[in-house]
Amino acid sequence: MSTTQLLFSEKVRRFVKRNGSVVIFLILAIIASIFVKNFFALNNFLTIIKQAAIPIIACLGITLVLMTGGIDLSLGYTLGLCSITVGLLVKGVGLPIWLSIFITLLVGLLVGFINGILVQVVKVPAFIVTLGTGYIIFGIAQIVSSGSDINRLPANFRAIGVTNIFGLNTTVLISLIICVVMYYLLHHSTFGRSLSAFGFNAKAARMSGIKTERLNISVYMICSFLVAIAAILLTIRVNCAQPTMGGGVYTFEVITGAIIGGASLFGGIGTVIGSVFGVLTIKVLENCINLLNVSYYTYQAFQGIVILLAIIFENVKNRRL
Amino acid sequence: MKKTILEMNAITKFIFDEHGQPLRGTTVKILEDVHFDVKEAEVHVLVGENGAGKSTLMKIIGGIIPADEGEMLLDGEVITFAGPRESLAHGIGFIHQELNLCLNLDVAQNIFLGRERQKKLFIDKASMYTEAREMLLRLGFDIDPKTMVRDLSTAQQQIVEIVKVLSYDCRIIIMDEPTASLTKSEIDKLFAIIHDLRRNGISIIYISHRFEELKEIGDRITVLRDGRYIGTVDIEDFDYDKIISMMVGRKLGAMFQSSHQVQDEVVLEVKGLRISRNTEPINLYVRSGEVVGLSGLVGAGRTELGKSIFGSRTYYGGEILYMGEEIGGLHPSNLIEKGVIYLSEDRKLEGLVLDMSLKDNITMASLKRMYPKTKIDFKREEVVAQESIDKLNIVANSVEQICNTLSGGNQQKVVVAKWLLTNPKLLILDEPTRGIDVNAKSEIYKIIDQLASQGVAILMISSELPEIIGMSDRIYVMKRGAIAAELTDKREFIQEKILSHTL
Ligand SMILES: Nc1ncnc2c1ncn2[C@@H]1O[C@H](COP(=O)(O)OP(=O)(O)OP(=O)(O)O)[C@@H](O)[C@H]1O
Ligand SMILES: [Mg+2]
Repeated sequence: MSTTQLLFSEKVRRFVKRNGSVVIFLILAIIASIFVKNFFALNNFLTIIKQAAIPIIACLGITLVLMTGGIDLSLGYTLGLCSITVGLLVKGVGLPIWLSIFITLLVGLLVGFINGILVQVVKVPAFIVTLGTGYIIFGIAQIVSSGSDINRLPANFRAIGVTNIFGLNTTVLISLIICVVMYYLLHHSTFGRSLSAFGFNAKAARMSGIKTERLNISVYMICSFLVAIAAILLTIRVNCAQPTMGGGVYTFEVITGAIIGGASLFGGIGTVIGSVFGVLTIKVLENCINLLNVSYYTYQAFQGIVILLAIIFENVKNRRL
Repeated sequence: MKKTILEMNAITKFIFDEHGQPLRGTTVKILEDVHFDVKEAEVHVLVGENGAGKSTLMKIIGGIIPADEGEMLLDGEVITFAGPRESLAHGIGFIHQELNLCLNLDVAQNIFLGRERQKKLFIDKASMYTEAREMLLRLGFDIDPKTMVRDLSTAQQQIVEIVKVLSYDCRIIIMDEPTASLTKSEIDKLFAIIHDLRRNGISIIYISHRFEELKEIGDRITVLRDGRYIGTVDIEDFDYDKIISMMVGRKLGAMFQSSHQVQDEVVLEVKGLRISRNTEPINLYVRSGEVVGLSGLVGAGRTELGKSIFGSRTYYGGEILYMGEEIGGLHPSNLIEKGVIYLSEDRKLEGLVLDMSLKDNITMASLKRMYPKTKIDFKREEVVAQESIDKLNIVANSVEQICNTLSGGNQQKVVVAKWLLTNPKLLILDEPTRGIDVNAKSEIYKIIDQLASQGVAILMISSELPEIIGMSDRIYVMKRGAIAAELTDKREFIQEKILSHTL
């Protein structure tokens, strides 16, 4: 074997080690291309990307939270609250669009702030805090909407998410921009470095001069802020503001994406590329199930299997590579 | 002639993953063709520089990792251990260099972990506490078995670890730097225990960087260098310079130097600070260009004082002035910005993020200063980390090596490097040379001296009296949470004198 070859295999090894979810995604995509009719088509790929664009935004949010060693179980409910908020403001109250969006984003930030304060200052485990706030948020969403949806949103509001620029859907574009920003934040800024340190060893991080208290709260805020963006885009996409949008299922889908992407529940570890491909993996799976016309329940079982395989793969690759 | 009970021949170990298996395709050896043996009822001392492979060799005996090549014989029969339990079952106890206690359990629960005393179906707490108390008292330590381990000082934790291993019936006990965090009086107790054990036919493998100890308890000394076996000498032939040259391959210069000059400007002044509700108030000061030693027994409150100053602990009243400005209660991040740093005695929990790389750890406390615009410059970072590695002789494969896999002493050097990089003006050093070999120690002393000549103020907490005596311009002795004495005259800097104030 020549040295360049060796180097190449070494490069592959490192890439696989760092980006397990990319490999899982590719394996799944190849299998699907062979066995699932209509899967290997440009149009189908575009559909998958469109479907993944919004959950990716939320997934990047939860990735940060997981990196602190915390979790946000209220994520799905925050999505519902923000959906109904923007719907009410745009159509019910009739506020200008920019203001409605602005307020919705503030609602997201507020939710995150409350979660963050409870976790950091009151020192309740994140799991319990967000389980509780999740129910409260769900309740509030029901109350403000009186339990009903808001259909047929104004066209100029919808334009934000459904216009095409250079042939790219704006929702996908926004998602892409967020990925780039988050990539910078996580992998090229002191924020990401501090976050990792905090997740691995909060005490050592604090004593090394990292403002861990502020960092922890800000992470929950960023997460809910991203969820608010996801909520607005999803509301536009389905053309309907619903208090029940998201929910627990959504939370778990997004967390699953992050976990397939290699994020650790114990904190410290998480990557943008991993999480993006984690979500893409889930969406490919969903897509195949659709194409194969199997029932939703079968899909859930499949999803479970893929998660387990992903985690096993993660383990094996850490041991063998 | 004593009987050889354990023998290791031609042991080779490659760098390994978390399961102890050699990394794929690696040719980097931690140990190469190492020979080692233990006789009945002897204290066999193992020395070598940081990263020489001492702990790795012990991990093989302790069944934590397998050897890649070579054989191990116990009572003349070839043996391999599948795990630490098997090794323990064969009568080999291991006191690790890094503490391995469960912080959220109490002392007794830790001692009896995995073999809880039972009364029918229930755990018999009462008898566990009595047994634990008896054990501790018999060995001469006054620690309440009901205290949570997290509330113990590092030294007390070390003692619990020792007691725990001693409570198993072992023929061979490995002690990997057991005294690194202990003070004189506990060390004396430990030595009494070791003599006792040896009298009862038990063998001890003893690792230490404190040379003054070796003659007192050792029977034979084996030296490792760069993962290779250099030789074994009887203690009668012990010669300091000879051992050093075996260890580092050359002779060492003077250990301590003093080229700095104390200035008038007071950098740190502590007035009336109480570290707990019912201790006496503490008053002390450190001037620019001055090295002040802080001595005292375990539990005297030295670490508590350091942490109080560094905003990592609540204290009860009093003022902390830095260049005349009150800094009490400030966040470590603000203090670091001002040039105040505290090097923790506990590198595993407070000093390092073990899961991150050497480079990440070295720059961790300087992120804000190095990257005010928050964008990380990876090239520059690598250069800076490499400079630290060269300056402190850190033994590592690359700047990307995860700190977990560094040897204990090299981890300590990373902590030192991290703090030096912040350009401090006031250094509070808590056991700065813990686990560091002689060669690197003299390097660090040199650096401390240099910093002092540049006007940096240094408060050095240390359990090593030679270090306190050799480095300090002035010494405070602490006792029961208060300052018991201040020694200003260098002629008073004598071990006995300092010790007499601690008791
Ligand atoms: N898993 C690993 N991967 C890579 N390098 C390793 C690994 N484990 C140990 N090393 C390296 O092997 C060398 C020997 O380590 P070891 O812990 O045995 O040293 P030591 O003699 O006990 O030193 P110290 O006095 O500092 O405790 C070190 O340079 C360390 O970085
Ligand atoms: Mg060691």
